[in-house]
Amino acid sequence: MGMMEKLDVQTELAREYLTFRLGDEEYGIDILKVQEIRGYENPTRIANAPHFLKGVVNLRGTIVPIVDLRLRFGCSSSEYNAFTVTIVLHIGQRTIGTVVDSVSDVMEIPVEAVRPAPEMSSAIDATYIRGLAQVGERMVILLDIESMLMSQDMGLID
Amino acid sequence: MADTSTDHSTSSAGIDLSQFYQVFFEEAGENLENMEQLLLELDIEAADDEELNAIFRCAHSIKGGAATFGFSDVAELTHQMETLLDKLRRHELAPTAPMVDVLLQSGDALKAMLGRHQGSGAAAVDTTELLVHIRAMAAGEAPAPVAAAVVKAEPVQAVAPVAAAADPVAQAAATSGQRTVELRVGPLSDPAQADNLLDLFKEITDLGTIEPLPDDAALAGVRRFKVSTAAPESELLDLFTFHVAREQVAFLALGDAGSAAMAAEADPSDKGYGFFDNAPGAPDKAPAAPVAAETAVLKPVAAAVAAKPAAPKSDKPAAGLEASTIRVSVEKVDQLINLVGELVITQAMLAQNSRGLDPVVYQQLVTGLTDLDRNTRDLQEAVMSIRMIPMSTVFSRFPRMLRDLANKLGKKVELVTQGEATELDKGLVEKITDPLTHLVRNSCDHGIEMPADRIAQGKPEVGTITLAASHQGGSIVIEVRDDGKGLSREKLLKKAREKGIDAPDSLTDPEVWNLIFAPGFSTAEEVTDVSGRGVGMDVVKKNITSLGGTVEIDSAEGYGMRVAVRLPLTLAIMDGMSVGVGEEVYILPLSSVVESFQVSQEMIKTVGGSGRVVEVRDEYMPVIELEKVFNVPRFDWEHNSGIMVVVEAESGRVALLVDELLGQQQVVVKNLETNYRKVNDVSGATIMGDGRVALILDVGSLVRRSRH
Repeated sequence: MGMMEKLDVQTELAREYLTFRLGDEEYGIDILKVQEIRGYENPTRIANAPHFLKGVVNLRGTIVPIVDLRLRFGCSSSEYNAFTVTIVLHIGQRTIGTVVDSVSDVMEIPVEAVRPAPEMSSAIDATYIRGLAQVGERMVILLDIESMLMSQDMGLID
Repeated sequence: MADTSTDHSTSSAGIDLSQFYQVFFEEAGENLENMEQLLLELDIEAADDEELNAIFRCAHSIKGGAATFGFSDVAELTHQMETLLDKLRRHELAPTAPMVDVLLQSGDALKAMLGRHQGSGAAAVDTTELLVHIRAMAAGEAPAPVAAAVVKAEPVQAVAPVAAAADPVAQAAATSGQRTVELRVGPLSDPAQADNLLDLFKEITDLGTIEPLPDDAALAGVRRFKVSTAAPESELLDLFTFHVAREQVAFLALGDAGSAAMAAEADPSDKGYGFFDNAPGAPDKAPAAPVAAETAVLKPVAAAVAAKPAAPKSDKPAAGLEASTIRVSVEKVDQLINLVGELVITQAMLAQNSRGLDPVVYQQLVTGLTDLDRNTRDLQEAVMSIRMIPMSTVFSRFPRMLRDLANKLGKKVELVTQGEATELDKGLVEKITDPLTHLVRNSCDHGIEMPADRIAQGKPEVGTITLAASHQGGSIVIEVRDDGKGLSREKLLKKAREKGIDAPDSLTDPEVWNLIFAPGFSTAEEVTDVSGRGVGMDVVKKNITSLGGTVEIDSAEGYGMRVAVRLPLTLAIMDGMSVGVGEEVYILPLSSVVESFQVSQEMIKTVGGSGRVVEVRDEYMPVIELEKVFNVPRFDWEHNSGIMVVVEAESGRVALLVDELLGQQQVVVKNLETNYRKVNDVSGATIMGDGRVALILDVGSLVRRSRH
């Protein structure tokens, strides 16, 4: 238990984030949720699923749904080219793939550097944004990817 | 286990026994089940020695384990059962029906106790009354003096708790290292029993050597063996108790003329403890004194061995006899199945990619790939068979249930089981048990008539319920048959109308029988606490359907009825037919495919503008266009779907319109819900030879779709 608490304190101070690009925006997600990063492969389409659900792929024998975050966030273009990658996330007991334009970096972002996101209307519910972090010249949108993917409107769970 | 058997102060040495708890619970569970089955099969008039011994061994094993792990309540009850059983197998008592009842009840109590120890949160089990009953039975009708039984029962109990403290010392005294002694067994009514000991001894590795010595003419029916071992005698005694009574076993220094001691030992009126009293004082036994002393020290220990650290050893014979089985968690097996599934896919991919190779140039590679193909298939089959368990595991619970049920209802029922060896996937076995239980209950409650009614109808007084399992093609068929009153067409129709179900007289018999699957339907004239509440048959049907199975009813009024449950052999693999629609591939379970044929657009007629039908063999069938159901994007506008696949599910047929038939193959069924969610009209997914995912269609759902 003591060990866990210690770990918690550490992660409170500074968390490591995997940052990726969606169009012109840069997002960061908790690195501990990331299982692996793969090239994009054409998934098997699932009929009557939300448009951002590209389908399912075979990841070493398990069937993994693929969510295109660009479609989810209403990005202007969503091309599938050599840079398009799938970030495979491990969330709770589930494995879910997310498609992004490119992966940029793994960075440690101290808690002090995180500012709350202002109230505004966007494709992302503010509750899924942990905050906005200033890293040099760049602004990284820190996503609470777990609660976002597990939310009802993603339609990933029954 | 080998470690604990050499460590005689297991508990004091601070070894954490809890890691073995699960093994104990599993073994105890199996032993209990085994015992229950044996008890039920026991013919009271002519009890078979082998059966009585087997029952005794079950109780004995549980007791040994329970005492080792400190479950004193379990040990205490099993100990009393053992006392009674010991008398039965030595023919000091004749088995009676009340005895079997009490033993069965004790079995139930043990189950409850074990459940409680496993943390089921059940209330403590009061066994006082049971214990009194068993003791009375063990003592009361015994031809031997009552006192003997009491003596036998009491000291052991007294020793057991003490043994915990005294044990390391006692054991140390008993363990005298590697030595050679003479083992005497008898007198036995059947000397061949001693041969069992020989086999048993040899089966346990590292125990030592055993060889028969010539029979001593002076000791009729006594067999002698030369034993060379390092194991404590208490352990050996415990081991031999599986075949002969403890009192019939004696250890003597090799070549010692301890005939007198032997005689005392062999005297049936002087069992066990008598020897302890006589040995040290008797002057004529002086030469045997050192041995006698050692044996004397041993005796109380021997009595307690089953209750103490030597007990793990008592599991050994069982393990030795069943050395051909191991216990593995289902998770590991599933992991293995997944890996093999992957291997099959990789192999298929290799096969596909190598097809274009010139066999002349790449002869070795091609041969290698062919071998790989065969080996992976064999491997897959072998791995799948690990998950298969015989139907007897399901059937074995019914004799007891039926016995209790028949007693309660005042009916006479005999259960006949056929095809117990038929194997079924473990996952299915777990899920089929409840529906089957319900069907058997129904048969007993509603099907079989009261004995008087049966006689009046010229039927045998005892009704018969038959449980039969068999393989038929790729599925297993489990039948529940009874020779009871069967279903009444009139009653069913009347009942259906009362319930507001549309039931015209023109319904065929199978259609009428199927009415009983309607929710809330019960034809029982009165509701008993067994069944008749009308919840059940619909649930049974739903459960079986969800397993991909079907239920069929057949009945003749006055002669009985038959319910046949047809299930796929396994949920993990199935034969599929892959069909192409546009650019996409879907899998149909082959078991539901009836036929396929080419159609032209003109053959498809519409009803009311949108409903489309096709005529197949003088029958109009609804047409489902997979393209529309799954919104398949079309890039090739020229192409038209031209193949009809007729599929059947839930006694309905539809014709699926697809582009092409791609082939048949075994597919490994994967769950979509693991990482995603349930998808309409899709029952699962599989991975194709090229590594891509294909969806498996839920034919039942497609058929239902056509109905609304």
